[in-house]
Amino acid sequence: MAEHMMLIDLTKCTGCRACQVACKEWNGLRAEKTKFNGSYQNPPDLSYDTWTLVRFDEIKSENSLKKVEWLMRKEGCMHCVDAPCVQACPSPGALVKTPEGAVVHNPKYCIGCKACVVACPFDIPRYSPQEEKIAKCTLCYDRITEGKVPACVEACTTGCLEFGPKEDIIARAKARIKEVDASLYPNNGYETHVIYIVPKYAKVEEYSHLNPDPKVPSTELWWKNLFKPLTLIGMGGVAGLAALHYLIKGPHRVDDKGTEGGDDNG
Amino acid sequence: MASKEDMVRITDAQERITHWILAGSFLIALITGLGLMYHHWSIIPTIFGGYYASKWIHIFSGVMFGLSLVMAIPMWWKECLFVEGDGKWIMKAGGYLWEAEDIPPAGKFNAGQKIFYWFVVVFGVILVVTGLIMANALSFPVVVARWAFMLHAMSVFVLASFLMVHIYLGTIGNPGTIQAMLHGWVTRAWASVHCPRWLEEKVDNTSSSSNS
Repeated sequence: MAEHMMLIDLTKCTGCRACQVACKEWNGLRAEKTKFNGSYQNPPDLSYDTWTLVRFDEIKSENSLKKVEWLMRKEGCMHCVDAPCVQACPSPGALVKTPEGAVVHNPKYCIGCKACVVACPFDIPRYSPQEEKIAKCTLCYDRITEGKVPACVEACTTGCLEFGPKEDIIARAKARIKEVDASLYPNNGYETHVIYIVPKYAKVEEYSHLNPDPKVPSTELWWKNLFKPLTLIGMGGVAGLAALHYLIKGPHRVDDKGTEGGDDNG
Repeated sequence: MASKEDMVRITDAQERITHWILAGSFLIALITGLGLMYHHWSIIPTIFGGYYASKWIHIFSGVMFGLSLVMAIPMWWKECLFVEGDGKWIMKAGGYLWEAEDIPPAGKFNAGQKIFYWFVVVFGVILVVTGLIMANALSFPVVVARWAFMLHAMSVFVLASFLMVHIYLGTIGNPGTIQAMLHGWVTRAWASVHCPRWLEEKVDNTSSSSNS
């Protein structure tokens, strides 16, 4: 299947949370105790059992007719093109980038090392100490490979969520930002398979838990691209040189008399 | 084969036991760690019982390495302080790699071994500390955890490469050396070549006074 993308048009989100419920239903995720923290946001955070969540924020309005703007944002895995979590994962098959663009975790192979949690620029994977595994949005890989849209998109009441082939979604997003004078996120060149349309009355920095400048952590680039190959080059190189040294010079023997130490009866 | 009178004991049992716990735990952690880092080497996790088992063997051997470091650091640090002549020794690699004249006599540890010791102390401690942070990554700010992953990889590159030098020079490169870490007895001849200052100061001084 060709590369697909999801568009989250925040100018259309009403915060109904149908996407949250649909996600729980389709993926068979347990319900969680909710907690009132002064906003409509519930459960309070993503978790091992909550793979998508509508975050609520209030900002001062520029509009004279109202005091505040409500920002609603459906949060979940961004399905990065060059996913740092997949790069960091030590267990083959536990985190996979599929041709469709989804980043899918497989609990069967997850060893619970938390490297992906550390690597993620969006703080998405959630670790369960009980299960000793991570979990996150899979872009409903089991649905999209059957020609369906993800459960959240299916359930969306306002058309805020759209899913389709990459070119269609990008064209759709570009047309829409012109139409409503909005902006795209990510807008720093970092490529993901989930993109947002941010309404013009809000700035990216005003959304809670949204990294304004997502990128592959530089520390990961260093260990993955430099120290990982260097370890092999270093160990192999030194071992090779040692072998050469042995072949050329041979062992440094000391006979019973002490060839270099002279008389040792001192 | 040299008779017992021609032998001197250069290490005590505590040193040898500590050395091998340190070496064994490092090697197990190194091998499982390489298996977790290089996906092409799935043979390693297979031998150790899978990726999940490898993770725990890696963590456990890492903790063992940390504990043996705690024993090794106070045990050898005094003997590994640099003394006059060590700089010159290093410039000539002690005559171990190429022919060299006029080499400052080494003590129980030569300057190269001292450098290895301090590398093990510095990068070993980094490995253990960053390893503990990685194993409990969610208890730390993400920046700290990210640096831990990088420093862990950097330290293993340095130590594993240096380890190859240590293994070569301690085994086939210098026959008779490994005995020092097996039972501790080395020939006088060996000591007079490899540890002349130690032989003179620690063995001959004390034995000549007790003999007289």
